[in-house]
Amino acid sequence: MQSSPDRQLVVSGVVKNYGRRRVLDDVSLSVEAGEVLALTGENGAGKSTLMRICAGLLRADAGTVHVGGRIGYCPQSPSLFELLTADEHLIMFGRGVGLSREDALSRGHALLAEFDFPVGRTVVTAHMSGGTRQKLNLALALLPDPAVLLLDEPYQGFDRGTYVNFWEHCKVWRAEGKAVVVVTHMLAELDRVDGVFELAAARGGEG
Amino acid sequence: MTAPQRVVMMAEMHGRDLVRRRVALALLVALPLSFYLASAGSGDGAVATGGVGMAFAVAGAALFSELSSADVDQRLVLGGYRPFELLLGRLMFLGPLGLVIAAGFSVLMVAVSHPADGWLVLLGVAAVAVVAVPFGLAVGAGVARELEGTLVLIGVVGIQLAVAPDSIVSKILPFYGPRQLLEAGMTGTGAVAGPLLLSVVYAVVLLLLARVFVGPRLGLVSHPRL
Repeated sequence: MQSSPDRQLVVSGVVKNYGRRRVLDDVSLSVEAGEVLALTGENGAGKSTLMRICAGLLRADAGTVHVGGRIGYCPQSPSLFELLTADEHLIMFGRGVGLSREDALSRGHALLAEFDFPVGRTVVTAHMSGGTRQKLNLALALLPDPAVLLLDEPYQGFDRGTYVNFWEHCKVWRAEGKAVVVVTHMLAELDRVDGVFELAAARGGEG
Repeated sequence: MTAPQRVVMMAEMHGRDLVRRRVALALLVALPLSFYLASAGSGDGAVATGGVGMAFAVAGAALFSELSSADVDQRLVLGGYRPFELLLGRLMFLGPLGLVIAAGFSVLMVAVSHPADGWLVLLGVAAVAVVAVPFGLAVGAGVARELEGTLVLIGVVGIQLAVAPDSIVSKILPFYGPRQLLEAGMTGTGAVAGPLLLSVVYAVVLLLLARVFVGPRLGLVSHPRL
């Protein structure tokens, strides 16, 4: 793999099968620092599968993934502890990347505030609305200040204001030099990104 | 941050999560208690039945702790935790909790059943807790869904209770050592060091087995750097 100071994510010839079904067939793409790439495709085209492979959560059957730095991954459905609060999640995830309680809360609250999350409320995630949970989900992906940000339809459940705010944040991440991949079906927002990669369904599969 | 700090963090958060599950906590105490009280009038076997029955509750708590957070665990590993730290964090909270329940349970059994050696009963129930947590973690790591895990748990503990104490089947199951200790406590005779050592060995082996099982589920693919 030829090194480039700007490239943060390089996917080369990735193949993934689920049993006999080929979900990803020789997929290659690259994302540079400060670039926002939209990943589109029909249901079952393998968008989430590709994101999980890029995050390192799933092994490809063939091909390689190279990354330039820490990965932040926001899954499609929030992976959260039902009976922990937002602050407890921030502290726990912050500890994983070496942040003290104070630093995790300080950084986490700033991130949550950017998405109009009701910071300071001691509500467990089970009692949060879908959109509020998703805001926490997104903040946890951003907490380690990743070089590569993988967002799998991260705006589900957002109200209109937060949805617009999310897309506005692409500018911030671009300015911060993050390489961002956003899975989206929202074709109206594609003018906000730097590139679009459309995944064609290989031979059927799960999205 | 060091590995011990991450383990302590996991223990704290699992503690906070479980403490908020008040019904589950109540059942954690009520289940072995009802096992014991239901058999208290049927002779010396009640202590062994009640003591080993505690494995249902403690192992069940470990099992559900593992399976209910499978998705979050994967994300925590991506966020810097190691799979074994997640297991140790659960062990660090559930182990002492199991021992506290065991202590209270032992006091009740000593008061009601008047064993020959109350301290041995305490040791036996504590051994159940020590084996039950890694047993629940191993089952939780080895199966994908809660129903399968629960059935495995019921099967193993149920067989341990149902078979003759000295049968070969009983000897290879994880709660043989604790059961020997409980029976020694009731009669005042019987080996102590052997069953105690066996319990510790089983606990360690089950924890290592949990680590092996959890590897494929939580292991990350390490991408080469550009």
